[in-house]
Amino acid sequence: MSTGLASAGEHGTQRLVESELGVAASPMRPLVEPSDPHADAPSVHPDGNPREAHAVAPRINHTFKILVTGPFAAGKTSLIQSVSQTDVVSTDVVTSGDESDVKAHTTVAMDFGTHQLPEEGISLLLFGTPGQPRFRFMTNILKGDVDVVAFVVDAHARQTHAAAGVELRSLLSDLRVPAVIAVNRCDDQEAAERVARSLGALAGEPVVPCQLISPASGRNVIVEILLALLDTLEAAESTCGTDAS
Amino acid sequence: MKQGMRVVETRAAASRGLDHDSCHSMTTDPTSPAPTVDGRAWTTPPTGPDRSFAPPPPPPPPVGSQRPTPRNATEVLDEMTEVIAGAHGALLASVDGFALAQNETMPNEASHAAMLAAAVGLAHQLVGMGGGEQLRQLVVDHDGGLLLLWPIGETRVLAMLTESRVDQTRLRRFVRSRASLLADHR
Repeated sequence: MSTGLASAGEHGTQRLVESELGVAASPMRPLVEPSDPHADAPSVHPDGNPREAHAVAPRINHTFKILVTGPFAAGKTSLIQSVSQTDVVSTDVVTSGDESDVKAHTTVAMDFGTHQLPEEGISLLLFGTPGQPRFRFMTNILKGDVDVVAFVVDAHARQTHAAAGVELRSLLSDLRVPAVIAVNRCDDQEAAERVARSLGALAGEPVVPCQLISPASGRNVIVEILLALLDTLEAAESTCGTDAS
Repeated sequence: MKQGMRVVETRAAASRGLDHDSCHSMTTDPTSPAPTVDGRAWTTPPTGPDRSFAPPPPPPPPVGSQRPTPRNATEVLDEMTEVIAGAHGALLASVDGFALAQNETMPNEASHAAMLAAAVGLAHQLVGMGGGEQLRQLVVDHDGGLLLLWPIGETRVLAMLTESRVDQTRLRRFVRSRASLLADHR
């Protein structure tokens, strides 16, 4: 996957986050400085539907690959379905055995969706994995060239947290990319942080409480993904600056 | 060798007192495209103008049997590998990746059923790329032979390992004739 992580540019990424939000992302990280010339720019899609706002096909210059993973029944498919602007490629099948007591359908290969910010020329490709350990080979296939990991966990499914934590740390030590922890079925930031800590999430890894059956909640996760990309870009640029001097 | 095998298949089929649908499968033109292997389809013949599903002729009279009628999925899989020349092993899995039955000759790896389910899950999506609507068969052609996969109804997947030279037309017909025994009839 050829991505534009190193070339997207901080300016563009900051604007794309602003556009996605419509407002500043979080009180901890103000995105729109008063002097920002784009601060008064209209939102890309104030009605939440970018396809209506942009009748002309956008020109996509930068593509980022997002791996949406986490334990069984955490909400990975729901996240992709809630934010994808294209038809989601889904491999849902009916569940059997004990898993059918948890939910009726499950992903067996992958989910695929996209989320574009047309004015910024940014496209996020969302690859969702199955959650059960027997499908681990799919995660291994899908994780190549990932830019950000979106790790989804169900706040109420505590029995999944220990294994999820092991999987999260193992995946990130392998990939060495930023992660966003989406704590599904949770409305409270502190509660979500507690869940994330129980997974072994690091202090700098953003945690998003969300209700992934809601598109608005899914967009909050997208915002944090964009912020993670921005942070990575800034870090890469500062490294380049250090190297140059 | 092949002729002998065919006799065995025919006898086994006849001895079971083939039901309406499996008899149909035995008389299908081998040159026609393989229909979906759907356990329900073989027990409930569709009605309507589609002549490919016209009522089949009556079954041939029983001529005796050399093997007992398979009663469960494992016996069906054993029968398949014995009757079909060049078939090494068969595995029945749920569409969500659990092994349900398999031959002793089939490699016993826990991940296989999950991989088969994932492959068929993706293949269902790839059907749309060609403008189709239903997956009939998935073939993995490799230097060691063939891996053939069929969806069985909505909830199961049948996999078969064979030699490259296996008679696929005959194999497909055989699988279709046994689909209702392999399908989930919940």
